Amino acid sequence: MDELELLKKDWQKQEASLPKLSYDDIYKMILKKSSSIVKWIFVISIVEFLLMVGLEITARFNGTYDTYEDIGLSSEFNVVLSCISFGILIYFMVQFYKNYRRINATDSAKVLMENILKTRRAVKRYVFINLSFMAIMLLFVFNYMLFYSQEFEVLQQASDRDVPIYVLGIAFLMIVIVVVGAIGLVYYMIYGLLTRRLKKNYKELEKLEL
Amino acid sequence: MDKELEHSFVSDLEEHQNIVHKVCRLYAPDAESHNDLFQEITIQLWKAYPKFRGESKFSTWMYRVSLNTAITLYRKSKRTIKTADIEISDFKISAETYDDVVEEKLKLMYTAVKQLNDIEKALVFLYLEDKSYKEIADTMGISEVNARVKMNRVKTKLKKILNP
Repeated sequence: MDELELLKKDWQKQEASLPKLSYDDIYKMILKKSSSIVKWIFVISIVEFLLMVGLEITARFNGTYDTYEDIGLSSEFNVVLSCISFGILIYFMVQFYKNYRRINATDSAKVLMENILKTRRAVKRYVFINLSFMAIMLLFVFNYMLFYSQEFEVLQQASDRDVPIYVLGIAFLMIVIVVVGAIGLVYYMIYGLLTRRLKKNYKELEKLEL
Repeated sequence: MDKELEHSFVSDLEEHQNIVHKVCRLYAPDAESHNDLFQEITIQLWKAYPKFRGESKFSTWMYRVSLNTAITLYRKSKRTIKTADIEISDFKISAETYDDVVEEKLKLMYTAVKQLNDIEKALVFLYLEDKSYKEIADTMGISEVNARVKMNRVKTKLKKILNP
Protein backbone atom coordinates (compact mmCIF):
# COMPACT_ATOMS: atom_id res chain seq x y z
CA MET A 1 0.00 0.00 0.00
CA ASP A 2 1.71 3.18 -1.17
CA GLU A 3 -0.19 5.46 1.23
CA LEU A 4 1.13 3.64 4.27
CA GLU A 5 4.65 3.61 2.85
CA LEU A 6 4.36 7.33 2.32
CA LEU A 7 3.24 7.72 5.91
CA LYS A 8 6.14 5.56 7.10
CA LYS A 9 8.66 7.84 5.38
CA ASP A 10 7.09 10.93 6.87
CA TRP A 11 6.75 9.29 10.27
CA GLN A 12 10.44 8.60 10.46
CA LYS A 13 11.22 12.20 9.61
CA GLN A 14 9.28 13.64 12.54
CA GLU A 15 12.11 13.18 15.07
CA ALA A 16 13.20 16.81 14.77
CA SER A 17 9.79 18.08 15.80
CA LEU A 18 9.52 15.90 18.92
CA PRO A 19 9.83 17.51 22.35
CA LYS A 20 13.20 17.11 24.07
CA LEU A 21 13.23 16.58 27.81
CA SER A 22 16.37 17.21 29.82
CA TYR A 23 18.01 14.81 32.26
CA ASP A 24 16.53 16.80 35.15
CA ASP A 25 13.02 16.76 33.70
CA ILE A 26 13.12 12.97 33.46
CA TYR A 27 14.70 12.63 36.89
CA LYS A 28 11.84 14.63 38.42
CA MET A 29 9.35 12.31 36.73
CA ILE A 30 10.67 9.13 38.32
CA LEU A 31 10.06 10.62 41.75
CA LYS A 32 6.33 11.02 41.09
CA LYS A 33 3.67 8.48 41.88
CA SER A 34 1.93 6.29 39.35
CA SER A 35 -1.78 6.60 38.71
CA SER A 36 -2.20 3.44 36.66
CA ILE A 37 -5.36 1.34 36.73
CA VAL A 38 -3.50 -1.43 38.57
CA LYS A 39 -2.76 0.99 41.35
CA TRP A 40 -6.41 2.01 41.51
CA ILE A 41 -7.62 -1.59 41.66
CA PHE A 42 -5.07 -2.15 44.42
CA VAL A 43 -6.17 0.92 46.40
CA ILE A 44 -9.87 0.06 46.11
CA SER A 45 -9.24 -3.50 47.26
CA ILE A 46 -7.26 -2.34 50.28
CA VAL A 47 -10.11 0.03 51.16
CA GLU A 48 -12.56 -2.87 50.85
CA PHE A 49 -10.51 -5.08 53.12
CA LEU A 50 -10.09 -2.32 55.69
CA LEU A 51 -13.80 -1.56 55.57
CA MET A 52 -14.64 -5.21 56.19
CA VAL A 53 -12.26 -5.49 59.13
CA GLY A 54 -13.49 -2.14 60.46
CA LEU A 55 -17.13 -3.25 60.29
CA GLU A 56 -16.34 -6.51 62.03
CA ILE A 57 -14.46 -4.77 64.85
CA THR A 58 -17.09 -2.04 65.28
CA ALA A 59 -19.86 -4.63 65.38
CA ARG A 60 -18.00 -6.48 68.09
CA PHE A 61 -17.49 -3.41 70.22
CA ASN A 62 -20.83 -1.64 69.90
CA GLY A 63 -22.75 -4.79 70.70
CA THR A 64 -24.44 -5.52 67.37
CA TYR A 65 -23.62 -9.16 67.94
CA ASP A 66 -25.52 -9.07 71.21
CA THR A 67 -28.73 -8.64 69.25
CA TYR A 68 -28.15 -12.06 67.73
CA GLU A 69 -28.04 -13.41 71.23
CA ASP A 70 -31.17 -11.40 72.11
CA ILE A 71 -33.12 -13.12 69.39
CA GLY A 72 -31.90 -16.46 70.63
CA LEU A 73 -28.89 -17.21 68.43
CA SER A 74 -26.02 -18.64 70.42
CA SER A 75 -22.62 -17.00 70.81
CA GLU A 76 -21.06 -20.06 69.14
CA PHE A 77 -22.98 -19.05 66.05
CA ASN A 78 -21.24 -15.66 66.16
CA VAL A 79 -17.81 -17.20 66.54
CA VAL A 80 -18.39 -19.47 63.55
CA LEU A 81 -19.61 -16.52 61.48
CA SER A 82 -16.55 -14.44 62.34
CA CYS A 83 -14.21 -17.31 61.60
CA ILE A 84 -15.77 -17.82 58.18
CA SER A 85 -15.68 -14.15 57.26
CA PHE A 86 -12.07 -13.69 58.39
CA GLY A 87 -11.11 -16.90 56.61
CA ILE A 88 -12.55 -15.50 53.39
CA LEU A 89 -10.78 -12.21 53.98
CA ILE A 90 -7.34 -13.77 54.53
CA TYR A 91 -7.70 -16.20 51.62
CA PHE A 92 -8.51 -13.37 49.23
CA MET A 93 -5.82 -11.05 50.55
CA VAL A 94 -3.23 -13.73 49.77
CA GLN A 95 -4.78 -14.41 46.35
CA PHE A 96 -4.94 -10.76 45.55
CA TYR A 97 -1.35 -10.08 46.56
CA LYS A 98 -0.12 -13.01 44.46
CA ASN A 99 -2.02 -11.76 41.42
CA TYR A 100 -0.82 -8.22 41.95
CA ARG A 101 2.80 -9.35 42.05
CA ARG A 102 2.33 -11.12 38.75
CA ILE A 103 1.42 -7.92 36.89
CA ASN A 104 4.46 -6.88 34.91
CA ALA A 105 4.65 -4.09 32.34
CA THR A 106 7.36 -5.95 30.43
CA ASP A 107 5.04 -8.81 29.48
CA SER A 108 3.39 -8.82 26.09
CA ALA A 109 0.23 -6.70 25.82
CA LYS A 110 -1.97 -9.78 25.95
CA VAL A 111 -0.34 -11.40 28.98
CA LEU A 112 -0.39 -8.10 30.85
CA MET A 113 -4.10 -7.62 30.16
CA GLU A 114 -4.82 -11.22 31.22
CA ASN A 115 -3.00 -10.74 34.51
CA ILE A 116 -4.83 -7.52 35.30
CA LEU A 117 -8.16 -9.11 34.45
CA LYS A 118 -7.27 -12.07 36.67
CA THR A 119 -6.62 -9.70 39.57
CA ARG A 120 -9.85 -7.90 38.93
CA ARG A 121 -11.74 -11.19 38.77
CA ALA A 122 -10.30 -12.23 42.14
CA VAL A 123 -11.62 -9.00 43.65
CA LYS A 124 -14.96 -9.56 41.96
CA ARG A 125 -15.17 -13.09 43.36
CA TYR A 126 -14.37 -11.73 46.79
CA VAL A 127 -17.16 -9.18 46.50
CA PHE A 128 -19.57 -11.80 45.21
CA ILE A 129 -18.81 -14.22 48.04
CA ASN A 130 -19.07 -11.46 50.60
CA LEU A 131 -22.42 -10.31 49.26
CA SER A 132 -23.76 -13.87 49.16
CA PHE A 133 -22.49 -14.44 52.66
CA MET A 134 -24.22 -11.26 53.79
CA ALA A 135 -27.48 -12.19 52.05
CA ILE A 136 -27.52 -15.69 53.52
CA MET A 137 -26.74 -14.39 56.97
CA LEU A 138 -29.51 -11.77 56.81
CA LEU A 139 -32.02 -14.32 55.52
CA PHE A 140 -30.99 -16.73 58.23
CA VAL A 141 -31.39 -14.15 60.96
CA PHE A 142 -34.75 -12.91 59.64
CA ASN A 143 -35.95 -16.47 59.24
CA TYR A 144 -34.94 -17.22 62.78
CA MET A 145 -36.69 -14.11 64.04
CA LEU A 146 -39.91 -14.98 62.24
CA PHE A 147 -40.23 -18.63 63.09
CA TYR A 148 -38.15 -19.50 66.09
CA SER A 149 -37.54 -16.55 68.33
CA GLN A 150 -39.89 -16.01 71.20
CA GLU A 151 -38.75 -12.45 71.79
CA PHE A 152 -39.97 -11.51 68.37
CA GLU A 153 -43.33 -13.09 69.01
CA VAL A 154 -43.68 -11.08 72.17
CA LEU A 155 -42.71 -7.96 70.27
CA GLN A 156 -45.27 -8.66 67.59
CA GLN A 157 -48.04 -9.28 70.08
CA ALA A 158 -47.26 -6.03 71.81
CA SER A 159 -47.89 -4.02 68.63
CA ASP A 160 -51.45 -2.88 67.87
CA ARG A 161 -51.87 -4.50 64.50
CA ASP A 162 -51.40 -8.12 63.69
CA VAL A 163 -49.22 -8.34 60.63
CA PRO A 164 -49.41 -11.66 58.81
CA ILE A 165 -46.16 -13.56 58.82
CA TYR A 166 -45.88 -13.79 55.03
CA VAL A 167 -46.00 -9.99 54.76
CA LEU A 168 -43.11 -9.76 57.19
CA GLY A 169 -41.29 -12.46 55.26
CA ILE A 170 -41.66 -10.58 51.98
CA ALA A 171 -40.62 -7.31 53.65
CA PHE A 172 -37.46 -8.93 55.00
CA LEU A 173 -36.68 -10.44 51.64
CA MET A 174 -37.09 -7.02 50.02
CA ILE A 175 -34.71 -5.50 52.55
CA VAL A 176 -32.10 -8.15 51.75
CA ILE A 177 -32.49 -7.61 47.99
CA VAL A 178 -32.27 -3.82 48.25
CA VAL A 179 -29.25 -3.80 50.58
CA VAL A 180 -27.28 -6.42 48.64
CA GLY A 181 -28.37 -4.95 45.31
CA ALA A 182 -27.27 -1.44 46.27
CA ILE A 183 -23.82 -2.59 47.38
CA GLY A 184 -23.51 -4.73 44.26
CA LEU A 185 -24.38 -1.75 42.08
CA VAL A 186 -21.70 0.41 43.68
CA TYR A 187 -19.07 -2.26 42.98
CA TYR A 188 -20.30 -2.74 39.46
CA MET A 189 -19.95 0.96 38.80
CA ILE A 190 -16.50 1.32 40.37
CA TYR A 191 -14.95 -1.62 38.55
CA GLY A 192 -17.00 -1.17 35.42
CA LEU A 193 -15.71 2.35 34.92
CA LEU A 194 -12.17 1.40 35.82
CA THR A 195 -11.82 -1.54 33.47
CA ARG A 196 -14.10 -0.66 30.57
CA ARG A 197 -11.27 0.36 28.27
CA LEU A 198 -9.09 -2.58 29.32
CA LYS A 199 -11.85 -5.05 28.59
CA LYS A 200 -12.54 -3.48 25.22
CA ASN A 201 -8.89 -3.72 24.21
CA TYR A 202 -8.58 -7.26 25.48
CA LYS A 203 -11.58 -8.32 23.42
CA GLU A 204 -10.01 -6.66 20.41
CA LEU A 205 -6.81 -8.66 20.93
CA GLU A 206 -8.73 -11.87 21.45
CA LYS A 207 -10.61 -11.33 18.22
CA LEU A 208 -7.26 -11.46 16.44
CA GLU A 209 -6.63 -14.95 17.69
CA LEU A 210 -9.82 -16.41 16.27
CA MET B 1 23.62 1.58 44.19
CA ASP B 2 20.18 3.15 43.91
CA LYS B 3 21.73 6.40 42.73
CA GLU B 4 23.69 4.50 40.12
CA LEU B 5 20.56 2.77 38.90
CA GLU B 6 18.71 6.08 38.77
CA HIS B 7 21.51 7.66 36.81
CA SER B 8 21.77 4.87 34.25
CA PHE B 9 17.99 4.79 33.82
CA VAL B 10 17.57 8.53 33.36
CA SER B 11 20.48 8.64 30.90
CA ASP B 12 19.09 5.70 28.90
CA LEU B 13 15.64 7.24 28.78
CA GLU B 14 16.99 10.66 27.88
CA GLU B 15 18.76 9.08 24.94
CA HIS B 16 15.74 7.09 23.75
CA GLN B 17 12.94 9.47 24.75
CA ASN B 18 11.76 9.81 21.14
CA ILE B 19 10.10 6.39 21.34
CA VAL B 20 7.96 7.52 24.27
CA HIS B 21 7.12 10.85 22.62
CA LYS B 22 5.96 9.06 19.49
CA VAL B 23 3.71 6.74 21.50
CA CYS B 24 2.28 9.80 23.26
CA ARG B 25 1.64 11.56 19.95
CA LEU B 26 -0.39 8.62 18.79
CA TYR B 27 -2.41 8.06 21.95
CA ALA B 28 -2.70 11.48 23.58
CA PRO B 29 -5.12 13.94 22.00
CA ASP B 30 -3.46 17.12 23.27
CA ALA B 31 -0.28 18.50 24.80
CA GLU B 32 -1.49 18.13 28.36
CA SER B 33 -2.40 14.46 27.92
CA HIS B 34 0.90 13.98 26.11
CA ASN B 35 2.80 15.10 29.20
CA ASP B 36 0.54 13.08 31.46
CA LEU B 37 1.07 9.90 29.46
CA PHE B 38 4.80 10.55 29.17
CA GLN B 39 4.93 10.84 32.94
CA GLU B 40 3.09 7.55 33.48
CA ILE B 41 5.23 5.70 30.92
CA THR B 42 8.36 7.01 32.64
CA ILE B 43 7.14 5.70 36.00
CA GLN B 44 6.27 2.30 34.53
CA LEU B 45 9.67 2.10 32.79
CA TRP B 46 11.41 3.03 36.02
CA LYS B 47 9.42 0.46 37.99
CA ALA B 48 10.32 -2.25 35.49
CA TYR B 49 13.92 -1.14 35.07
CA PRO B 50 15.50 -3.29 37.82
CA LYS B 51 14.14 -6.32 35.98
CA PHE B 52 15.64 -5.21 32.69
CA ARG B 53 18.62 -7.48 32.33
CA GLY B 54 19.63 -6.53 28.85
CA GLU B 55 18.36 -9.70 27.13
CA SER B 56 16.91 -7.37 24.56
CA LYS B 57 17.92 -3.92 23.45
CA PHE B 58 16.86 -1.10 25.75
CA SER B 59 14.80 0.38 22.91
CA THR B 60 12.96 -2.91 22.22
CA TRP B 61 12.10 -3.18 25.87
CA MET B 62 10.95 0.44 25.85
CA TYR B 63 8.51 -0.16 22.99
CA ARG B 64 6.86 -2.88 25.03
CA VAL B 65 6.49 -0.99 28.30
CA SER B 66 5.45 2.24 26.57
CA LEU B 67 2.73 0.58 24.51
CA ASN B 68 1.53 -1.47 27.48
CA THR B 69 1.18 1.70 29.49
CA ALA B 70 -0.65 3.55 26.71
CA ILE B 71 -3.03 0.69 25.93
CA THR B 72 -3.59 -0.92 29.31
CA LEU B 73 -2.18 0.73 32.39
CA TYR B 74 -2.78 4.40 31.73
CA ARG B 75 -5.98 5.82 33.09
CA LYS B 76 -7.12 8.57 30.77
CA SER B 77 -7.89 11.88 32.41
CA LYS B 78 -11.54 12.77 32.85
CA ARG B 79 -11.60 15.11 29.91
CA THR B 80 -12.37 12.73 27.09
CA ILE B 81 -11.98 14.23 23.70
CA LYS B 82 -13.87 12.90 20.75
CA THR B 83 -11.90 11.94 17.66
CA ALA B 84 -13.57 14.74 15.73
CA ASP B 85 -12.04 17.34 18.04
CA ILE B 86 -8.51 16.10 17.64
CA GLU B 87 -6.12 18.58 16.17
CA ILE B 88 -3.66 17.02 13.81
CA SER B 89 -1.38 20.02 14.08
CA ASP B 90 0.83 18.07 16.46
CA PHE B 91 2.11 16.14 13.50
CA LYS B 92 4.53 18.46 11.83
CA ILE B 93 4.44 17.70 8.19
CA SER B 94 7.53 18.95 6.45
CA ALA B 95 5.60 20.95 3.92
CA GLU B 96 8.42 22.26 1.79
CA THR B 97 9.47 18.84 0.64
CA TYR B 98 6.02 17.73 -0.50
CA ASP B 99 3.63 19.01 -3.04
CA ASP B 100 0.12 19.91 -1.96
CA VAL B 101 -1.42 16.62 -3.04
CA VAL B 102 1.01 14.56 -0.99
CA GLU B 103 0.67 16.87 1.96
CA GLU B 104 -3.09 16.60 1.85
CA LYS B 105 -2.83 12.84 1.65
CA LEU B 106 -0.53 12.71 4.67
CA LYS B 107 -2.85 14.88 6.69
CA LEU B 108 -5.71 12.53 5.89
CA MET B 109 -3.56 9.53 6.77
CA TYR B 110 -2.68 10.92 10.20
CA THR B 111 -6.32 11.71 10.89
CA ALA B 112 -7.26 8.19 9.81
CA VAL B 113 -4.64 6.59 12.05
CA LYS B 114 -5.91 8.60 15.00
CA GLN B 115 -9.37 7.17 14.40
CA LEU B 116 -8.18 3.56 14.76
CA ASN B 117 -8.78 1.72 18.03
CA ASP B 118 -6.01 1.28 20.63
CA ILE B 119 -4.84 -2.11 19.39
CA GLU B 120 -4.82 -1.13 15.73
CA LYS B 121 -2.87 2.01 16.59
CA ALA B 122 -0.25 -0.14 18.33
CA LEU B 123 0.13 -2.34 15.25
CA VAL B 124 0.40 0.65 12.93
CA PHE B 125 2.88 2.30 15.29
CA LEU B 126 5.18 -0.71 15.32
CA TYR B 127 4.83 -0.99 11.55
CA LEU B 128 5.73 2.67 11.07
CA GLU B 129 8.71 2.16 13.36
CA ASP B 130 9.86 -0.49 10.88
CA LYS B 131 9.52 -3.43 13.27
CA SER B 132 9.39 -6.96 11.89
CA TYR B 133 6.17 -8.97 12.14
CA LYS B 134 7.96 -11.21 14.62
CA GLU B 135 8.63 -8.22 16.90
CA ILE B 136 5.10 -6.89 16.45
CA ALA B 137 3.68 -10.31 17.36
CA ASP B 138 5.94 -10.64 20.43
CA THR B 139 5.08 -7.18 21.71
CA MET B 140 1.35 -7.71 21.36
CA GLY B 141 1.32 -11.35 22.48
CA ILE B 142 -0.28 -12.69 19.30
CA SER B 143 1.01 -15.05 16.61
CA GLU B 144 3.02 -13.75 13.67
CA VAL B 145 0.38 -14.93 11.21
CA ASN B 146 -2.33 -13.06 13.07
CA ALA B 147 -0.16 -9.96 13.21
CA ARG B 148 0.14 -10.04 9.41
CA VAL B 149 -3.55 -10.72 8.90
CA LYS B 150 -4.53 -7.90 11.25
CA MET B 151 -2.07 -5.49 9.68
CA ASN B 152 -3.58 -6.19 6.26
CA ARG B 153 -7.02 -5.55 7.69
CA VAL B 154 -5.86 -2.28 9.18
CA LYS B 155 -4.44 -1.27 5.79
CA THR B 156 -7.80 -1.98 4.19
CA LYS B 157 -9.54 -0.05 6.94
CA LEU B 158 -7.25 2.94 6.39
CA LYS B 159 -7.87 2.77 2.66
CA LYS B 160 -11.60 2.85 3.30
CA ILE B 161 -11.32 5.84 5.60
CA LEU B 162 -9.23 7.62 2.99
CA ASN B 163 -11.47 6.76 0.02
CA PRO B 164 -15.01 6.50 1.34
